[in-house]
Amino acid sequence: MTAVRIVFSAREAVSAVSAAPRKVLVAEDDVLVRMMIAEELRQRAYAVIEAASADEALLIVSSGEAVDLVLTDIKMPGSMDGLGLAKALRRRWPRVKIVIVSGEQARSLSGSVTADALFGKPYEIEHILACIDDLIGPVTH
Amino acid sequence: MTTEAAGTANQETILVVENDVFARMVISDYLRHCGYKVIEAAGADEALTLMQHLEIKIDVVFSAVQMPGSMDGFRLARWIRDNRPNLDVILTGSVPKAADAAAQLCDESPLPRPYEPQLVADRIRRLRAARSSRGGV
Repeated sequence: MTAVRIVFSAREAVSAVSAAPRKVLVAEDDVLVRMMIAEELRQRAYAVIEAASADEALLIVSSGEAVDLVLTDIKMPGSMDGLGLAKALRRRWPRVKIVIVSGEQARSLSGSVTADALFGKPYEIEHILACIDDLIGPVTH
Repeated sequence: MTTEAAGTANQETILVVENDVFARMVISDYLRHCGYKVIEAAGADEALTLMQHLEIKIDVVFSAVQMPGSMDGFRLARWIRDNRPNLDVILTGSVPKAADAAAQLCDESPLPRPYEPQLVADRIRRLRAARSSRGGV
């Protein structure tokens, strides 16, 4: 039997199977970085919610918003940082995938981090996007 | 052309400035659904950071009046009028004095809160049409 593999782009996949886009919550206090990451994700057909702090991110998830993955920076102002956010998410919403990015080197952080993936400095945005694709993909099936 | 399709022909960019994350999320989603590109700022300081990068294309600023931080919506509108006069500004707020103050800074009175997202899209469309008829960008 011949195996046929059909490859859709992310946008084609959304329209082809009428699947709901996966929802990514981006928690990042640097507006320029947040804008860039959010835009890249939207171009890949993800639904994106932007939070300017861990507190905002937790508020959104606590409200019942169905988030598939949280991408968070570590250093953020407010009552908790990205690590605190990751711990709170894992404890209360264990199905939500967590990806952490940091200005620190990943090696110095890995022992204390609750996450599905950790990107330390220097990181490529493409690697983060590929990781998110692997963890949840742009659409539900 | 329907309201929903208003922004698709020539995608315009709306900067939404709102410290309430839920309000920001709802209006931003709605405007994206209308076909606009939307940039989100959680306060006036973030908005200033974005607007100081001239390579970031912005056509309209939709901002809350009351926001924490070093600058509220009025001061932000004043900064825009002085530094980026080609941008259209829409303010929204529930402060009684908002109407008077905003009238000096914007072409139209502020949208009272809570607002219907469709009214925001209609206001944007009207402002852009007016600017276009004046020969602006």
